[in-house]
Amino acid sequence: MRAFQYTRARSLSEAVTAAAAGATPLAGGTTLVELLRAEIARPAHVVDLRWVGELREWDTAGEPARIGALTSMAALAADPLMAARFPAVVESLQLAASGQLRAMATIGGNLLQASRCPAFRDGRSPCNRRAPGSGCAARTGPAHDHAVRGTSTACVAPYPGDLAVALVAADAEIETRSPAGTRRIPAAALHRAPGATPEREHVLGRGELIAAVLVPGGPTARNAAFVKVRDRGSFAFALGSAAVGLEVSAGLVIAARVVLGSVATIPWRSHEAESVLVGERLTAGTARAAADAALAGTCGPRAEAARGAVTKACLTAASRAGVS
Amino acid sequence: MSIGSPQVRADAVAKVTGVARYAADHRPPGMLHARLVTSTIARGLITSIDASDASGLPGVRAVITHHDLAGELNPVQALVDGGHFHTAACPLAGPVIRHAGQIVALVVAETGEVAERAAHAVDVRYATGPAVLDLADTDPADDVEVARWEVGDRMPGGAVAVDEVYTTPAQHHHAIELYAVLAQWRGASLEVDVPTQWVQGEQRGLAAALGVPESAVRVRAPYVGGGFGGKAVVLWHTVLVAWAARRLAAPVRLFVTRQQCATVASFRPQSTHRVRLTATSGGRLLGYEHDVRAQTSRTDTVGLAGTAMTARLYATSRIRCRETVAPVDAPTPGFMRAPAEFGHAFALESAVDELAARLQVDPVALRLRNEPARDPVTRLPFGGRHLSQCLRLGAELFGWADRDPRPRSMSDAGELIGWGCAASLYPANGGGIVECRMTLDEDGRAVVEVAATDLGTGAATVLAQIAADAAGLDPGAVVVTLGDSVLPAGLMAAGSCTTGSAGSAVYRAGLLLRAALERGESAPVTVTARWVPRGMTPALHAAHRRGSRVQLGPVRDGRVLFAYGAQFAEVRVDPVTGMVRVPRVVGVFDAGRIVNPRTARAQLVGGITWGIGHAIMERTPIDRSRAAFSGTDLGACHVATHADVGQVRVEMLDIADPAVNPLGVKGVGEIGLVGTVAAVTNAVYHATGVRVRRLPVEPAVLVSAR
Repeated sequence: MRAFQYTRARSLSEAVTAAAAGATPLAGGTTLVELLRAEIARPAHVVDLRWVGELREWDTAGEPARIGALTSMAALAADPLMAARFPAVVESLQLAASGQLRAMATIGGNLLQASRCPAFRDGRSPCNRRAPGSGCAARTGPAHDHAVRGTSTACVAPYPGDLAVALVAADAEIETRSPAGTRRIPAAALHRAPGATPEREHVLGRGELIAAVLVPGGPTARNAAFVKVRDRGSFAFALGSAAVGLEVSAGLVIAARVVLGSVATIPWRSHEAESVLVGERLTAGTARAAADAALAGTCGPRAEAARGAVTKACLTAASRAGVS
Repeated sequence: MSIGSPQVRADAVAKVTGVARYAADHRPPGMLHARLVTSTIARGLITSIDASDASGLPGVRAVITHHDLAGELNPVQALVDGGHFHTAACPLAGPVIRHAGQIVALVVAETGEVAERAAHAVDVRYATGPAVLDLADTDPADDVEVARWEVGDRMPGGAVAVDEVYTTPAQHHHAIELYAVLAQWRGASLEVDVPTQWVQGEQRGLAAALGVPESAVRVRAPYVGGGFGGKAVVLWHTVLVAWAARRLAAPVRLFVTRQQCATVASFRPQSTHRVRLTATSGGRLLGYEHDVRAQTSRTDTVGLAGTAMTARLYATSRIRCRETVAPVDAPTPGFMRAPAEFGHAFALESAVDELAARLQVDPVALRLRNEPARDPVTRLPFGGRHLSQCLRLGAELFGWADRDPRPRSMSDAGELIGWGCAASLYPANGGGIVECRMTLDEDGRAVVEVAATDLGTGAATVLAQIAADAAGLDPGAVVVTLGDSVLPAGLMAAGSCTTGSAGSAVYRAGLLLRAALERGESAPVTVTARWVPRGMTPALHAAHRRGSRVQLGPVRDGRVLFAYGAQFAEVRVDPVTGMVRVPRVVGVFDAGRIVNPRTARAQLVGGITWGIGHAIMERTPIDRSRAAFSGTDLGACHVATHADVGQVRVEMLDIADPAVNPLGVKGVGEIGLVGTVAAVTNAVYHATGVRVRRLPVEPAVLVSAR
């Protein structure tokens, strides 16, 4: 690990000031500490947010539900109001990481978690995300590691997170704080596809910190499911995942959200799948048709996993919407 | 009787409270900290090493490279050639890079943090050559043959034949305790704390490489946090640390990172198995052909010829086996739990299940029908062989009679259910010569000493039970001391034979002590015993005297000696996602006499757990374009979690086999894994109708076949 300056922020404005001066924010530390030790992250300055009380406040009864960025994954996953209003969000948390990590990791940090691509993580293979211009070792590596949506010649790394997928499906917004003030960003617009600049992973500006996540209630948020396909029962990133939310009236789907995880370089909303579902009865056949629409033209282990995840999430969301 | 009682491990409290000190827990005064730098290319030459940034960091004491080591170490031999080393090729002997992740420098600093920082700052440049790692990228014409044999002169024509290819991936041990070393010199004497399965092999290997007398080297490993074969041999970083400690005149301790563990030691090589079975339409096996290819390194030819095991499972009149290895740009592969049995048994037991499906014969009945009366390879009699009993009892405990044999015929709550079974066998190895010293002191405490190793299995507890019964003492009065090279001669803890071999020496020492006490001798009394297994040839005696490893195999003294088992697995497959769960496994084992049912059960459950992992998730991915393991940490290499292992029921027949050793024990360390893998994949076939011949099962394979 390289030496760095460490600042413990006492307030959000102190944290924003430090971040604006170039400091890397530290929240739960479950990703950053690992990256520091591997010298994949080499910040000159780290600002520790964990003593900023205003980032810990959360209210899941309000409309929209407001979740402070420092809320732990474990705490939010255990909240009964969340489970009732946003079951897919809770499922995405329960299926993520391990119990120990969920106790440490924060909501804001989870959204900005770093790539799990082996070329990025090993600290030395060519990786444009870690070392811009160095190339992409993953492109010629195992297909298992390849995203199938949103890739570029510079980067094929799948976005590994689960929570962001469920939040996009729930029409959540991200409230940020920066020297310029407060703004809200749709969760769907937080992450950037790699394009030619994979090192720029999100749209947050210098000094801009996630303050809270806002989740509006509603039928597609309530009748929602998150499904994660992976090779073991716990403590594994998804091969493919999906969050699906449905609004059903008189047996027909009148609104749908279909978002894919771990199969694209960012949480990937599939309008194609949604339009397959809207106006139809949700059956095993339409669920599969939605999955095929979402993954049209793709192949490989991640695409197959995501296909299964979309299908199953559609069926589970439908049962939550009262479709029998 | 202490033998047969389910005693808690003697060191259980010390381990769970953190009192037990593993190699990396030691911190002598003045200790320096080492870290490794490993190569980023798979094949080629180091053209330059710029260590100036690293050396300039405050607290860095040395950056040791091939420039420093050239000519400093003696040539040594790999284990496969009668020596003690993982590979004969010292990674710092010169500028040659033989595989990705090869050690290229050892950094030594005053703190671990500085050493870690400095390791990142060493700039190594290479000239890169073409490299190949994946078995699929090799040409069989370049293979080296390691076994070729046959029984019977002509393949009988059979009505039904299975002729399929099965493949297994590269895998790593990933013991919870990482590789680590602490080396310190006291004058001309070296003391090394290192997790090893073979303290005296480590001692001899270090002495040979460093050019010091064996008596000047002491190796300690009282606690080992899992070995699984990875810690069986001398790893080069151990020698490098000892050399650095001598040069810097200070104790030096090395941690190897999780990622580096995958390339500085051995691994389970990829393998492909073509199996051809011929049988009558009534399900009597006539012929068994098995062709195996596996990876080896370019420096050492390691052939883990397992057909010599699997050929003994069923009665056949004609057997033809050939095993070759393909040299690739890999670290030298080696032992990993059931090294010669896992892949071979997966292939054979899958093929037998395919045969059962084609013949529409129940897979248990098919196996029972082909139980051999004598060893089909040598025609010698078997020792105790109770495979049929394992199959019958396992079927009964599992409820096998309720199985609808048709694939995709069983389901529950939207999930497909499958039931599969497989047979297991593992050689009842004889080990070699073991010595034991037993001392009864004036406080009534009996100290048992032998240079065997407890890898966390409970070996010390089991040996105490044997000693207590033999000497007629209370087991609480017996203290077993293992894991130190100064102790009486012990063996590598490998091949599931510590209880049988060290136990036999301990048993004999106990009897001698009892006789001494009965003669009226009073404490303190010391006795020494020497156990020479039956079947030691003059050549093996010579090997023992040389300090080479001796392992008597399963064919000895006119008999063929194996442990057996039968595993039954239930899988649930989500037909939408292809995810496989294993809610229950039943395993019944004929592993001879069971000294401690608690620790034996733990070993068998552990083996079954690995088998589940091997079936549905474990593999080290390979980047073929770069000839490198891709993702070598536990985020990429999945092993089974609690959530993956449902109800596991283990039954042990507990029938002593006096042909194996005086105690009648066969060993439980590896057999639990052997049949589990095929039991799970056979169950996947039964659930889905999809035959998985390539491990591990991937969800996508089951989904795309919907």
